[in-house]
Amino acid sequence: MAPGSSVNRTRRAWARAALALAACVCGARGWAQLPADPDGVVEQLPSKPTPHWVWVNDTSFFAYPDGRAFLVDGDSGKMLGMLSTGISFTGVVVPKAGGVIYSPEIYFSRGSRGIRTDVVTIYDAKRLLPVGEIEIPPKRASIIPMAGAEALTDDDRFLLIYNFTPAQSVTVVDAHARKLVGEIETAGCALVYPTGPRSFFSICGDGALLETTLTDAGTLARHARTAEFIDVLKDPVTEKGVRWRDTWLFASFEGVLHPFRITATGVQADPTWPLFTPQELAQHWRTGGLQHLAVHAASGRLFAIMHQGGPETREDLGAEVWVYDVATRKRMQTITMHNKAGSIQVSQDTQPLLFACSMESNRLDIYDATSGRYLRTVESLGQTPALLIIP
Amino acid sequence: MPDTPSPIDALVERMARDMARRVSRRGFIGRVGALLFSTAGLPLLPVARGGQPGPAQPDAATDPGDPQTCEYWRHCATDGFLCSCCGGSVHSCPPGTEFSAVTWVGTCHNPGDGHDYIISYNDCCGESECGRCLCSRHEDDKPLYVPFKANDYNWCPGSKVGGAYHCTVARIVGVAK
Repeated sequence: MAPGSSVNRTRRAWARAALALAACVCGARGWAQLPADPDGVVEQLPSKPTPHWVWVNDTSFFAYPDGRAFLVDGDSGKMLGMLSTGISFTGVVVPKAGGVIYSPEIYFSRGSRGIRTDVVTIYDAKRLLPVGEIEIPPKRASIIPMAGAEALTDDDRFLLIYNFTPAQSVTVVDAHARKLVGEIETAGCALVYPTGPRSFFSICGDGALLETTLTDAGTLARHARTAEFIDVLKDPVTEKGVRWRDTWLFASFEGVLHPFRITATGVQADPTWPLFTPQELAQHWRTGGLQHLAVHAASGRLFAIMHQGGPETREDLGAEVWVYDVATRKRMQTITMHNKAGSIQVSQDTQPLLFACSMESNRLDIYDATSGRYLRTVESLGQTPALLIIP
Repeated sequence: MPDTPSPIDALVERMARDMARRVSRRGFIGRVGALLFSTAGLPLLPVARGGQPGPAQPDAATDPGDPQTCEYWRHCATDGFLCSCCGGSVHSCPPGTEFSAVTWVGTCHNPGDGHDYIISYNDCCGESECGRCLCSRHEDDKPLYVPFKANDYNWCPGSKVGGAYHCTVARIVGVAK
């Protein structure tokens, strides 16, 4: 026999003794089966979103009838829930008071064909269940998702939805009464940018703004047309404006920022200012993406996705986000993206997060918006996420 | 620096803007548009009518490139799935779909013969996305507030079958110069 056989016998004896001791100590409790889980539990969300929640709106470009909106907690990177939102989905609209979520949706009676029905679905914000539906004219613009497709007036009373058939108009929905008000013609002018509790503007093909004022019932009170603020032929602005306090900020193809300020007498065009130095322009720096601007209201920091390329690259993704101080009009920071971004959004709290995604992947990248430090990535959010919305 | 727009583009822009200013009633634009765009001799209008044969096509020797690639010259302002990859061709819709009645137009340079051509990017409608050969190029396209130069609209809502988008063709409708 091998010289160590007596040692092995001793070890086996000790092992048997240890097992016997464990069985005595743990008894039946240590080896019990897990208790049965409760049946039929469905999660609910807290009454109030945290400042770091974000809706990731997926237009599902490879399967248009299957739009989706994913709710993600930016702190944990956890997906909290999802809405199924129909054909050619652009994004949800969330009132400041919370409680509900509005979702302009399109459906066909046979999936991708048949009778078209347009609705605004009202979802309960805690259960993410539809609790109401308002049928609207089957005219909602079917577009690549971007800002201006739909919006609430400043007091959250009326929901405005841009139509294109290709006749242009705006559908007005009374969000409080949950009923359709009607349709307002905006011939030659597109999209909706709220300017107050009873007003919004659209951008016209000649570079003017069409200002629409509503009555308290949501019908047309008056139309007014501004001068041609935008040079559509030489250097148009993108449609992807962001609201900073009383001013809408739009970037032109060539990187000129156009502030349109809301005043008591209508929208005024404040002096433009360049996002790029002459040297940066010579290096072909350019804003790009589908949601290429975001603004942190309290600090006045403007975030812009940047890349290098010609005018035809205006929707290209960017590997950098440049941060400007709107008050001083100076660039103050450059954030290098973990993945190239086509859409960005920033939370509005004192420790803001910067969210970034693109239609070319289905991931959401999350950064510390103050330091620019990359924090985490949330994978597998639909197909082609485009618009990011803070609830 | 901004590119100087070509004369044809300037003409298209002016016509579109003039029309936008004049037209004030919803629905009127559609009726007048259908009348205008079905009229022969107006190849420079910013909307091309779908489903109709275009002018004489250049022969294959002067039409270089592979229509199943995004780099093909006619795709200079395409934004969608290429019908050439989906059972159709560069100028025809796949079986079972419908040509969009109206659409946007671009101007693309043909390296084969040196001419600029007006290209009508009609969508093919009535089925879900083809999902093949996605191509997104933006040479001289404009924002949504210049609709007939904007490739970010789905033009299928103007078709009989409704809004389901399948793919996009790149049909020559005329020579720009």
